[in-house]
Amino acid sequence: MSADQHAAQAFHGRSVVSAADFTKAEVLALLEAARQFDRFDPGGPAWGGLAPTLSGRVLGTLFFEPSTRTRLSFESAMLRLGGSVLGFADARISSLSKGESLVDTIQVVEGYCDAIVLRHPSEGAARLAAETARIPVINGGDGSNQHPTQTFLDLYTIREAAGRLDGLKVGFMGDLRYGRTVHSLTEALLHFDVELKFIGPENLRLPRDLRDHLRRHGRSGLEVENLQDAGDLDVLYMTRIQKERFPDPMDYERIRNAYRVDRAALAPFGPDLKVLHPLPRVNEVAPDVDSLPGALYFRQTRNGVTVRMALLHLLLGGALPLEGGA
Amino acid sequence: MSRPGDYRLVNGTVIDHLPVGSAARAMDLLGLPREGPVTVGINVPSPSQGRKDIVRVEGLFLEKHELDRLALLGPSITVSIVRGGKVASKTVLDVPQRLVDMIPCRNPTCITNAEPVVTVFVREGERPYRFRCAYCERIARVAKT
Ligand SMILES: [Zn+2]
Repeated sequence: MSADQHAAQAFHGRSVVSAADFTKAEVLALLEAARQFDRFDPGGPAWGGLAPTLSGRVLGTLFFEPSTRTRLSFESAMLRLGGSVLGFADARISSLSKGESLVDTIQVVEGYCDAIVLRHPSEGAARLAAETARIPVINGGDGSNQHPTQTFLDLYTIREAAGRLDGLKVGFMGDLRYGRTVHSLTEALLHFDVELKFIGPENLRLPRDLRDHLRRHGRSGLEVENLQDAGDLDVLYMTRIQKERFPDPMDYERIRNAYRVDRAALAPFGPDLKVLHPLPRVNEVAPDVDSLPGALYFRQTRNGVTVRMALLHLLLGGALPLEGGA
Repeated sequence: MSRPGDYRLVNGTVIDHLPVGSAARAMDLLGLPREGPVTVGINVPSPSQGRKDIVRVEGLFLEKHELDRLALLGPSITVSIVRGGKVASKTVLDVPQRLVDMIPCRNPTCITNAEPVVTVFVREGERPYRFRCAYCERIARVAKT
C-alpha cells in the first residue's frame, strides 16, 4: 500500500486526540501527505493552484480557553482548502457553553459542522468529545495533556529541515517537567532511531512517568543541567520556563537566564544545528538567533498550517495524490 | 474442633491470602456484612505469605465487578466458593486489564471530575501494576497490586 493510500485509510473519519494513538506508518503517511500541500506555499510557484477540496465543508472551532495561535492556524488551514469555519474563541464570551456540559455542547455543535477542533482546560476533554461526537474531533490542546497537531508539525519541521528523522541527536531544553510539547514529541520520536538529550534545571526535570516510559523502551537519554554538557546535537527544541513554576521570583530570574540561548551559546554546535520552539517565546531564544539558517520556529508556525491542511483533508475523506499546482 | 461462637461455612465464599490489614478494606468494598454471618481472620499465619488476612462469608457469591475490586487489594488473593461445606472452586484473582467505573481520577483537572463520565483506567506494565486514566492519561497509583 502506498503512503497516500495508507494516509487516506488511516485518517478518514477518525478523531485525533493524542499523537500516541497513531502508529509510525500512520505518522509517516501524514507527513508525506503534508508534503503534497507544502507545494502550495503562499507566494510560491504553485500558490493559487490548490483545488478547494473542502469547499462546502464546515470546521467548528470550540475554544473553551483562548489560544489565538492554534485557532488561527486551524482556521487558515480550513479556509485555504475552500472550507468555512464557525465557533468561539473563548468560553467566557460564549453563551453556548455557559453551564452546559461539554457532552451536550458537542452534541449541539456536531449538527453545525463536519469536524470539530476542541481546546479545553481539562485534561481528557478531547477524548470525551471524540467518544461523544459522530464527526472527527481534533484535540487543539486539553489542559496540560496533549496537543497532537503540534507534535505532527514538529516532526514535519525536523524532517523537512534535516531530511530525515532516523539518526538524529535531539535535545530538549527548558521546562522538561510541565512542557506538554516536550512530552508528546519525545514519545513520538520513540518511533525513530533518535538519540534523546534533556537539558534543564533540577526542579524541572522530566516527570517520572515519562522517564519510566523511556527506560522501558531502552531510550533513557542523557539528562544534564547545562547545554555545554549535552555533547553533539542536530536539533535543539527550546521551551519557555514559566514564572508560576517558581515560588521565589529570584530563582525564576536566575533559571530563566541560565536556560536562554543566543548565537554565541549555539556556535559550538556548528552551522547545521536546527533550533525549534513552539512559540510564543519570552527571552529564551535571543533575537540574534533568528537570522541563523537553522532557526526554524517561524517555519514551524507555517508548517502548522500545512500539516493541519493535510489532516483536515484526510479526516474529511479527501483523496491523494493532490491535483493541481506545479 | 468447633468452639462456641465459631461458624462453619456451608454455602458461601472464602476470600483468602489478603495482605495483612486489608480485611477491613475488603469488607468495606463488598458492603459486608450483608445477610449472612461473616468470620474474619487477621494476621493469620500462612505458609506462603508469612501472615495474611482471611474473610469467610456465608451466603455470598461474588460478581465479576466485585472480584475486580478485590483484586486491587493484593497480588495473590484467592476466592473459594464453598457449597455443602466443601470447596467447590478456587480461583487466584487476576488484576483486571481495565478498571471501569471503579475508582475516581485523582487529577483534579481531569475531565472525569467535571463531567458525568464513567472513569476508565488501563493497566500498564508488570507488577506492581500501574493504571493510566483513559481521559487525562495520568497514572493513578493503585497500590499493592
Ligand atoms: Zn483522569
